[in-house]
Amino acid sequence: MAWLARRLGVAVLLVWAVASIVFLAIRLVPGDPAELLLSQGGVAPDPATVAELHEQLGLDRPVLTQYFDNFANLLSGDLGRSLQDGTPVAREIGRRLPRTLELIGVAALLAVLIGIPGGLFAAIGRHGLLDRIANRLSAIALAVPVFVVGTLLVLLFAQTLRWVPAGGYVPLADDPLGHIALLLMPAITIALGLSATVFRMTRAAVLDVAPRDFVRTARAKGLGRTRILLHHVLRNALMPVLTVLALHLGTLLGGTVLVEYVFNYPGLSGLLVDAVNARDYPTVEGVVLVISVLFVALNLAVDLLYAVLDPRVRTA
Amino acid sequence: MMRVRRGPAFAVAAIALVALLVPLLPLADPLHMDVAHHLASASLPHPLGQDEYGRDVLSRLLWGARTSLVVAAASASLACLFGTALGLVGGFVRGVAELVALRCMDIVLCFPPLLLALLIVTLLGPGAATLIPVLAVLYAPGFVRVVYAGVLSVRSQDYVEAMRALGAGPSRIMLRTILPNVAGPLLVQFSLAAASAVVLESGLSFLGLGVVPPAPSWGLMIGAARATMNQAPLLLLWPCAALSLTILAMNALCDALRDAVDPHTQPIRLPRHARQPEPAPPRPATGTAVLDVRNLTVEIDTPHGTIRPVRDVSFTLQAGETLAIVGESGSGKTLTGLALIGLLPPAAYVSRGSAWLQGHNLLRLNDKAFRRVRGGVLAMIFQDPLSSLNPVHRIGTQIAEAMHAHFEVAHYEAKEEVETLLERVGMPDPRRRARAYPHELSGGMRQRAMIAMAIANDPRLLIADEPTTALDVTIQAQVLDLLADLRRELGMGLVFISHSLPVVAEIADRVLVMYAGDIVEQGSVRELFAAPLHPYTVALLQSAPHDDGTLPVGIRGAVPLPHAMPPGCVFAPRCPLCEVACEAERPPLVEVAIGRMTRCLRWRELA
Repeated sequence: MAWLARRLGVAVLLVWAVASIVFLAIRLVPGDPAELLLSQGGVAPDPATVAELHEQLGLDRPVLTQYFDNFANLLSGDLGRSLQDGTPVAREIGRRLPRTLELIGVAALLAVLIGIPGGLFAAIGRHGLLDRIANRLSAIALAVPVFVVGTLLVLLFAQTLRWVPAGGYVPLADDPLGHIALLLMPAITIALGLSATVFRMTRAAVLDVAPRDFVRTARAKGLGRTRILLHHVLRNALMPVLTVLALHLGTLLGGTVLVEYVFNYPGLSGLLVDAVNARDYPTVEGVVLVISVLFVALNLAVDLLYAVLDPRVRTA
Repeated sequence: MMRVRRGPAFAVAAIALVALLVPLLPLADPLHMDVAHHLASASLPHPLGQDEYGRDVLSRLLWGARTSLVVAAASASLACLFGTALGLVGGFVRGVAELVALRCMDIVLCFPPLLLALLIVTLLGPGAATLIPVLAVLYAPGFVRVVYAGVLSVRSQDYVEAMRALGAGPSRIMLRTILPNVAGPLLVQFSLAAASAVVLESGLSFLGLGVVPPAPSWGLMIGAARATMNQAPLLLLWPCAALSLTILAMNALCDALRDAVDPHTQPIRLPRHARQPEPAPPRPATGTAVLDVRNLTVEIDTPHGTIRPVRDVSFTLQAGETLAIVGESGSGKTLTGLALIGLLPPAAYVSRGSAWLQGHNLLRLNDKAFRRVRGGVLAMIFQDPLSSLNPVHRIGTQIAEAMHAHFEVAHYEAKEEVETLLERVGMPDPRRRARAYPHELSGGMRQRAMIAMAIANDPRLLIADEPTTALDVTIQAQVLDLLADLRRELGMGLVFISHSLPVVAEIADRVLVMYAGDIVEQGSVRELFAAPLHPYTVALLQSAPHDDGTLPVGIRGAVPLPHAMPPGCVFAPRCPLCEVACEAERPPLVEVAIGRMTRCLRWRELA
């Protein structure tokens, strides 16, 4: 329990540090949101109008006051309103976040379904034909950048074969089939590199566990091959694999920018890029805050998962 | 000496050479537009065609390599300098500097790298001048960690303390001792950062946030070619291929460097040759013996040739009898046990011999048949009960598993049976202990659980490999008593492998002494201890602690290396009685009385 409290404390501190750095950094660099909002076609706006908007948005107050107000609002659960159109930041994030989570979730599922059995079989037939082919494939999957994969998938399946639309998004409720068709290509794009990572981790972990003493004990008991592999080897090999997977998912939370751009998918990172370009302070801060909270929460979840998978951690 | 695989290194060198030499090559100007011929296909002056502004694709592709590698090399170097400095300061100054250096890196790491780069570049404006420092910040934590870990491991070591005592300043210590130590990992880190920088640079350029157009960059080319992919798909494919192949080569170089720095990750490849064991000898008339082993020989193929760590081991074992196999480590006693249960390590194999148990020749069983024998009529317990039990499953589950592997048992029956077994091996509170995980039990209780697992299916033969070595002395006696009791109650044969003569004296009926793969002496425990007939046994008895207070005497010399076995008696080099005949040829194992054997030419002088 003390362990959990300590971890939570560190997590909160980390989130606070990230939020503060973003808050200050975005205000320190050149670019004024009011000017950007008011300038049309490269014409500098009237300084009086800019000052008026500053006052209206509360940007004329000292930075420190803004900082404390900002955090006071955050503590009461208010992420503020967008400087661009006045909509609550929380609502826009609430619209975009589930799409990104769905994308990452489907990609992770595909990666696990391909990577874990692949890694297990490759490790069993170490240095065999299957192992060598799978290793080459994973090296290629890791070498091709996501935007190249995405672009080539669009070229092949959308432009040449015309099986699926090139990109976009429809809500599940409006058009379930269209939703899945649009989700599939970006998910596969992310899953390709991810499954190669899972594959390599699984293979290495299985090779690490297989020569351990308890596997020899399992064989001495006369257990069947499948039972030894699944119940003894894989069960112990899964722990490092899941950790790495979870960490990768964490980086994906904000790292889907390129995939969202290629497939014109309106997710969380697209929102962030637009907001940074417009110097929309509340939106940038809100998105960054949500991402870092999720990231830290995911790390915490990994630790808890470890406790579930490994009884030694539970009592430690 | 570091050995790096050649292929990846050559590939990366070739790409780097192109990047360096590209201004000297007879190429078209990568920036020269020729709108009249936009999207033109391949022609003699433009071998790969022209892009949407009529620029030469080949020229832009090769110049793109220069852009990628310059950004990669510059950002990785900057990150390396910055990270190394921070790691050295953090590790050496300690205190606040240490904390700040590490925590800053934690914050950088807690953010998706692409997103962080994107934010900074959006705020500061695109261009290589922003890109390089941004990437350097992203990759610095990796270097900090490598150097910091290096400093930590070095700063407490004796020779650094000695240098400090000699008056060397911290900077001198850093440069002299730490940097050479972390050079390998730093090189790996550098290659990882450079490869990753190529990916990030191209990604940001693709979004229009990296290299500024019209400079040639693969990311920019891919981004631009997307618009015209219907008319000119090749325009898209060339830079995709160039980029992916470059990253592939760099990743391969990273792996090669890592393997070179960290050699234990490299698999050892052994020459595979077909193992053709000699034809199986016919089943001997064993009489009442439970186990009859004849001429068991184990070989291992090593890079330096085949070694034979177990040679011509023969013995029989009666029901209810305990045979101890005694020897130093490397004597072949454990491999003998593992060969009998078919669990030799992958490199080792049985090249000769037979071992009959209940009508099965253990050395010739196929996998499927052996599975029925293992854990059934033949069971084994191992030296270290903690590592031999699966850490993530309950004790009860692991015992029940042994039953389910051999018989159809209902779940609740198995559960009751597990409790009975645990009670039988003297486990206090068996119901609760069945639900415990291995790490929750003491060493003695773990070994009791292992024994319960081994006797779950009422075996005829139990092989115990140093079952008490990892335990406290008081617990040792309890476990020995337990094994003796069980052997009597179940009427099974017990092969007890040990290096400890006092333990053997306590439990064994007969003793088999092994040295460097050979049986050197065999006899009943009383005879062998009272009147040993082999100089090695004599030396072994003298080296054990005595009850009467005389000091133990060590054996001079060491066990011969498996590759350099003496041609004659394997003990000759260490033997006080050694004479010319001993070194000429291997002495035979002679039966000097019923059940009494020795492999010594001069045994009469000992008797």
